[in-house]
Amino acid sequence: MSSSSGQSSGYDLSFKILLIGDSAVGKSSLLVSFISNSAEDIAPTIGVDFKIKMLTVGGKRLKLTIWDTAGQERFRTLTSSYYRGAQGIILVYDVTRRDTFTNLSLVWSKEVELYSTNQNCVKMLVGNKVDRDSERVVSKEEGLALAEELGCLFFECSAKTRENVERCFEELALKIMEVPSLLEEGSTAVKRNILKQQQQPQASEFGGCCS
Amino acid sequence: MEAHASSFVSKARTAFHSAAAKAERVLMDFKIDLDSDKQFHDEFGRQRGDESARSEKFLDELKHIKWRPPHIGTKQDWQDRINNMRKGRKEVEVTDKVGDVSMASAPFYDENMYILNVKNDLDAKASEAIPSVEGLTAATKYPIPPSSVLKQLAIAIESGRQTNSMKDFVASSRGSSPAREKAGLSLSSVKALVLREKEDKLTSEFSSDEKVVYLINSLFDQEGEFLKRNSDPEETFISSLPRDIHGAPLESLVVKLAEVIGNFKTLREMSLFWSRVVDELRKHWSEEKHLPGIPPDDIPDLKSCLLYQQFQVINCCISRKKRHIIATESLDTMVMEANSNALESANYTGKIPTGPLLYARLRTGELVLRLGADCPSGDLTLLETGEPAYSPVTQEGPLLTEDLIKETEEFVLRTGSVGAGCSQLLSDMQAFKAANPGCILEDFVRWYSPPDWSESEGSTEDRDSSYGGESMSTRGQLSLRMQKEGNLWRELWETSKPVPAVKQAPLYDEDLAVEDILDAFEDIQPSELFGQLFVSLLSFGFAIAETMLYGDLDLSKLFNDCKEYIVTTCQSDRFNEKIDELVQMYETVEKMLLNPDEALKMKHMEESTMTTDESKRRFSTGEPKHRFKRLSHIFGGKDKLLTRPVCKNEVNDEETQIRHSFSSFFDSKSSLFSKKPPKPGNLYPAEQPLSLESDRTVI
Repeated sequence: MSSSSGQSSGYDLSFKILLIGDSAVGKSSLLVSFISNSAEDIAPTIGVDFKIKMLTVGGKRLKLTIWDTAGQERFRTLTSSYYRGAQGIILVYDVTRRDTFTNLSLVWSKEVELYSTNQNCVKMLVGNKVDRDSERVVSKEEGLALAEELGCLFFECSAKTRENVERCFEELALKIMEVPSLLEEGSTAVKRNILKQQQQPQASEFGGCCS
Repeated sequence: MEAHASSFVSKARTAFHSAAAKAERVLMDFKIDLDSDKQFHDEFGRQRGDESARSEKFLDELKHIKWRPPHIGTKQDWQDRINNMRKGRKEVEVTDKVGDVSMASAPFYDENMYILNVKNDLDAKASEAIPSVEGLTAATKYPIPPSSVLKQLAIAIESGRQTNSMKDFVASSRGSSPAREKAGLSLSSVKALVLREKEDKLTSEFSSDEKVVYLINSLFDQEGEFLKRNSDPEETFISSLPRDIHGAPLESLVVKLAEVIGNFKTLREMSLFWSRVVDELRKHWSEEKHLPGIPPDDIPDLKSCLLYQQFQVINCCISRKKRHIIATESLDTMVMEANSNALESANYTGKIPTGPLLYARLRTGELVLRLGADCPSGDLTLLETGEPAYSPVTQEGPLLTEDLIKETEEFVLRTGSVGAGCSQLLSDMQAFKAANPGCILEDFVRWYSPPDWSESEGSTEDRDSSYGGESMSTRGQLSLRMQKEGNLWRELWETSKPVPAVKQAPLYDEDLAVEDILDAFEDIQPSELFGQLFVSLLSFGFAIAETMLYGDLDLSKLFNDCKEYIVTTCQSDRFNEKIDELVQMYETVEKMLLNPDEALKMKHMEESTMTTDESKRRFSTGEPKHRFKRLSHIFGGKDKLLTRPVCKNEVNDEETQIRHSFSSFFDSKSSLFSKKPPKPGNLYPAEQPLSLESDRTVI
């Protein structure tokens, strides 16, 4: 599969978004579902991966670089590097596995506090796999309460049925644009990239790709 | 001049020698006179008359030289003197000789005084240029480092913007001008060679200077007592300011380094001292000695400045090398012991050896030594053999400073590479195989990625089943995503060999990493180095002040205004334009600590200038820009009025000292401070790719 890539002059803002959470909660599926319409099983992520998506929200054309991380503990050192400079962080849990919800406050919110270099970054709590309602063990109310406690936005969605998937990312982007310092960073990144492009006119455009 | 001096010296020496000889003769004459005998009165009378005449002459001469004889002389002597006075020629001759003596001594004395003065002057300059450990230690009696130190770092930042290399500071002190440098290639080459030779010599002299050696030893002393200020262990309040503005932790090596370098008077010495520090870092690395004032084994703290992160990496790499040596020796010992046991075991068939060695029994009954096993992995057992599963010792991850993180991310974005993750996964698989002989992929997944394994409800406890396939299917299975065709995990598993972590190719090469850092230190841009030292010292002073002012309601309000201004300025991209104002903030805080009453008076003046409406607006969180603009105006305006003359005088003094120092040492003019810093528009030419200012220009 190929992901879309933007022209250097084709977008107004550029933001970095990070997906974190326990292994097998559906981070990669969520990302693939947002980028394309695929709903198939994704092999476990090894280390980090990324995809790029162009998006128009609030009258602005955005380029989102979305980093997908492996949730296994052994990969934590490697993935911790990618928190740097992220304007948006999505913490994902599986509504059918309570331990993935518990680990958000035990593990992942602490990782964010430890490795994020952006104090104003926008955080979002996402409960995935709501299509398996018969196996649900974490209620929406519990999710809302934790989101409020951690200072996060909150959504429930299903990567399989694509319920709320686009809305998650769009809402996150809108919230990022409301923060002046993040807006400035997004704008600065675009200008810096334009400058690079001008200095290397022969350089091929980069884009997301899977190995 | 030397010839002239020699002439005068010679004349003076002759004059003094002649005078001494004459004095000696006079003394002998007096002795003879006293011993005269009456029987030979007539005969000696005649001779005495002659001698008396000569004595008279000598007395006249000695009188002019201010030498007083014990006897004034008889009546006859005085008559003889009167007779001599009639002979004008002799008298004139004596006068000339005396004149010669005076003229000879004056220049001689001046020359000596001149040489002595010059020597004293040079010694004084040398003493002032290099700060002493004693002087710096005495300064720690003040609560925070003096603002003059911070100011010196600010000057260095300004000057550093014009150059890319610390070496330029050493070369530019020669007073070389751009025009001469453009004269020609050959001339430029020769000039460069000459400067390099002078640099090397000067660097060598600087490094071996007693004070510099003492400074280096104190700075890198493992006890860490040098420049220590906070000695109150009960103080638990920890300021978040150093991390908010990307400074360095309190009492860390970076802060102490900033304080030391900020005390040097010239940019050249600051640069030379930094070179000396880099040499010391190389020495610590080669001797595997941890740097003091830096955690010995922490991963880089991305909220501290890059310099601190790099120091952390050096210490962490030292710890890792030590651990690696121990682990390698341990493994080698284990293998040797196992081989030895195997020989013994051959002689006693069936006997299982005892000891700390860990073995796993295969399904064939064969015992295989576990390599690199760390500890049992809970109650997990291997599916095919039933043996307990062990967590292996694994390789440690890379130590990435913020610059390397950025590089890595850009590399991944550009190439789409997932190599780092795959390398680590492969390494972990190999370590797991070495520690768990007879394992299969499912065993690894159960240890590494538990959610990808699901236990079957129909699982049985029968481990002796002879139908492996059936047993596996009844006990559990991999997740659907792990079973997918072409899954990279399985491919890596098939590729991996049982190799313990200490024997694998390193995922992260400590030697390479530290060499890169030390090379970067040698080539660091002056503004980058001095900028980090400036922010570190700024945050240090403010953090201590925050602790001390914590309970003082009046002063802490004024302090918090300064602090907020500093945090906002340091976090913005206009840091370089606001350095002067940051220094002023620091001076204000310094005043709060040293002279609280004056600071309160300033606060009162500040408050009286604001109307009620402005006050409300000022404290409103809805208008942060207005608030800080107001704050900037207040402190900018008042500090200029109150401290501008002092600052100006101090700067002038520094310039005067530097110029005088240069003229004394090298008889050339200094261009360091004769030029004004280039205007902000020139600071960021369009050629600089990553410059934020350039981005604006492009717009």
